[in-house]
Amino acid sequence: MTEALSFLLAYLIFPGLLFTGAVSLLFVGIDRKIAAHMQNRIGPPIWQEFFDVGKLLGKEDITPTSAQSTVFTLAPLLAFGAIVAVMLLLPVNSAQPALVLVADLIVIIYLLNIPAICVMLGGYSSACPFGASGASRYVVQLFGYELAFIIAALAVAVKVDSLSLSDFVSYQAQNGWLVLDWRLLPALIASLIAIQGKLLRVPFDIPEAEVEIVHGPLTEYSGPKLALMRIAYDIEILAVAGFITALFLGGPTPFNIGGVQIPGVVSFLIKCLAIVLFTTTLRCIAARLRIDQAVRFFWTFAVILAVISLLLVI
Amino acid sequence: MTFVVPVGPQHPALLEPEHFRFEVRGEEIIDVKIRLGYMHRGIERGLMDRTYHQGLYLAERICGICSHAHNLCFSQTVERLAGIEIPDRARYIRTIVAELERIHSHLLWAGVAAHEIGFITLFMLFWRDREHVQDLLEMISGNRCYYSMCAIGGTRRDMRPEHLPKIDRGLKVLEKATKHYVSVATSDRTILARCENIGVLTKQDARNFCAVGPHARASGVDVDMRRDDPYAAYAEIPFGVVTQSEGDVFARVVVRLREVLEAIGIIRHALNKMPTGPIRTRVRAKIPPNEATSRVEAPRGELLHFGISNGTEKPERWRVRPPTYANIPSLVPMFVGGTIAEIPIVLASIDPCMCCTDRVTIVDVTTGKSRILTMEELRRMAR
Repeated sequence: MTEALSFLLAYLIFPGLLFTGAVSLLFVGIDRKIAAHMQNRIGPPIWQEFFDVGKLLGKEDITPTSAQSTVFTLAPLLAFGAIVAVMLLLPVNSAQPALVLVADLIVIIYLLNIPAICVMLGGYSSACPFGASGASRYVVQLFGYELAFIIAALAVAVKVDSLSLSDFVSYQAQNGWLVLDWRLLPALIASLIAIQGKLLRVPFDIPEAEVEIVHGPLTEYSGPKLALMRIAYDIEILAVAGFITALFLGGPTPFNIGGVQIPGVVSFLIKCLAIVLFTTTLRCIAARLRIDQAVRFFWTFAVILAVISLLLVI
Repeated sequence: MTFVVPVGPQHPALLEPEHFRFEVRGEEIIDVKIRLGYMHRGIERGLMDRTYHQGLYLAERICGICSHAHNLCFSQTVERLAGIEIPDRARYIRTIVAELERIHSHLLWAGVAAHEIGFITLFMLFWRDREHVQDLLEMISGNRCYYSMCAIGGTRRDMRPEHLPKIDRGLKVLEKATKHYVSVATSDRTILARCENIGVLTKQDARNFCAVGPHARASGVDVDMRRDDPYAAYAEIPFGVVTQSEGDVFARVVVRLREVLEAIGIIRHALNKMPTGPIRTRVRAKIPPNEATSRVEAPRGELLHFGISNGTEKPERWRVRPPTYANIPSLVPMFVGGTIAEIPIVLASIDPCMCCTDRVTIVDVTTGKSRILTMEELRRMAR
C-alpha cells in the first residue's frame, strides 16, 4: 500500500508531473529569454511558457475531419506519459532514481524516443502535406542523431561497466566526473550534437522548419492536444539534459555551503540549466541545415567522434 | 509518385499572398506553377483618375520598401511628358535618397533571407543595423517609410547643412557593419551550406527570362539602369556595377551586400559634389498630349513607368512595370530540380514584392474573352 502511494507521489509530484512540468516550463522560459538577448531582442518574461501552455489548454480543440483517428488523439497523450516516465528513471535528487529498474539506460533511451515517434505518427495521421513532410523529415533525422547518441551513451556504459544510471552517478562520485576523462570527451561532443538534433533546435530544427513546412507534424494540432505536445517537448528538454548530466557531469551531488546541506536536486538543476543554455547558444549561432546535410553531418562527424570514444575506453 | 505541395496564399514563407503549386517527388521539385493576382489593388486605374500631383502620392504607395523609386520614376515620367528640366540640386537630393533607400532595402532583404534559412540571430542583427539608415531617412525626409521627397519638377524638401555630419556618422556605422556582415556571410559554414549552388540561374537563362536588377547581376548579366540609362545625378558620379558569375543564392547575397557598400560611396560622393541653388521648378497642372517612359534602378531592379498625357491634368493611361514582375518567370528554372527545403530561400532570393506585381484580367474560361467587372458584380463575387 505504502509502496503504491509513494510511487503515485513520485509520479505526480516529485520528481514527476508537478516538479518536472514546472521546472521544464521555466527552463524553456529562461532559454527563450537568453536567446532573445543573444539576438538583440528583449524577449518574453521567463514565465511566458506557463502563459502559452495555459492559454492553449483553454482553447478550442479543432481536429480536421480527414485527421479524425485514434492515432491523432492518442499521440499527444502517449508522448506526454512516456516523457514523464523518463523523469522517474533519472537520478534527480540522489544516485537512486524514484523507480529502480535493471538496465534502466536502455529503457531511458527507448522512452526518450517515444515522444519523437508520437510526433511522427501525429504528423502522418494529420492528413496534411506539411504534417506528412515534417514527419518523414523527422524519421530521417531520428536515424541520424540516434546512432551518435546511443554510441556515446554506450561508451560511458563500457567505461563504468554497468547499464544502470545510479551506478554511473556513484562511479562519478568516487572517481570524478566523466567529462574530465579525455577519452570520453569525443563522446560528450557527439552527444551534445545529438541532443541538438533530438531537441529539434537550430541547426537541426528541420522537421518543424516554419518557413518551409509551417509547423511540420504539429501543423494540424490545436488547443489542449497541442498544449500536451508542447509540455512533452519542454519536459523532453529537461529529461535529455538530465540524462547528459547523469552520464557526464556526475548527476545530483549534495554539497555543503556554510554547514547547510544543499540537496542534490539543486546541483542537478544547475547542471541541466547549463546544458540547456549550451544548446541555446548553439541555436543562436547557426542557420538551419537541409535534411541531407544534417544526416551527413551526424553520420560522419558525430558518429565518428562517438566511435573514437568507444574504442578508447574498450 | 508525385504529389502537390501548395505554398500560399497563406504560408509562413510568404510575406504576401501568392500561390505556388509545387509538384514534388519525395523532396525533389519536378515542376512549379505560379499563380499571381491575390494582391491586385487597381493602382494603374487609380492613377488615371487622379491629377499628376495627386498621383505622385499614390504611385509612392505602390511599394512600401522601394517607395522612393516609384516616386522618382513617376515624377521623371511626368517631367518628360511636360518636357521640363529639374534643378541640379534636386537631382542630387533624389540620388542621395535613392541610394539610402537601396541600403535600407538590401539590409531588409538580407534579414529576411537570414530568416528563411533559420538564422534568427543574423536576421535580428541586420534589422538592428537597418535602423541606422531608417534614422537617416527620417532625419532627411521626416518619414521612415514613405519619404515623399520628389515633387513634380524637383524635390519637396531641401537637405540642411546640419544634417551632413550626421549622415557622415551614420554612413560610417553602416559601412563598418556591412563589411562585418560580408565577412560573416562568406565564412559561416551553415550559411554557405544553405546558399551555395542553390537556386542556380545561368547567365543564358537570366537573359532568356529577362531577369533584372541584383538578381540578374548575380548571374553575371551586367545590367544597371543607373549606368545604362542615367537619370538623376548618376551620370556625374563614378560607381561600380557589382556582378557575380555564379548565379546561385549566395551570389545574390554577395551582390546585394556589396551594392550597399557601393551605395555608401555614391552618397558620400554626391554629398561632396552637391551644387547649391533652387530645388524645384514650377510645372503647369495641365500637360499637353505626349507619351513618355522612364526607367529607374529600384533596389530590386529595373522599374519602368509609362504614361500618356492628353492635355488635361490627368493622365490618359499609366503603366507600371515593377522589377519583381520581370523576375517572376526566372523562378521556374531556379526551383526545378531543387528540394522543398530550398523553396523559401530561393523564392526570397529574388526579393519579391508581390503587391507591386499583381495585375488582374477577368477572363471567361469558356470563351477565352476578357471582360470588365462592374463594382456590383465584384461585390457579389467577394461575398
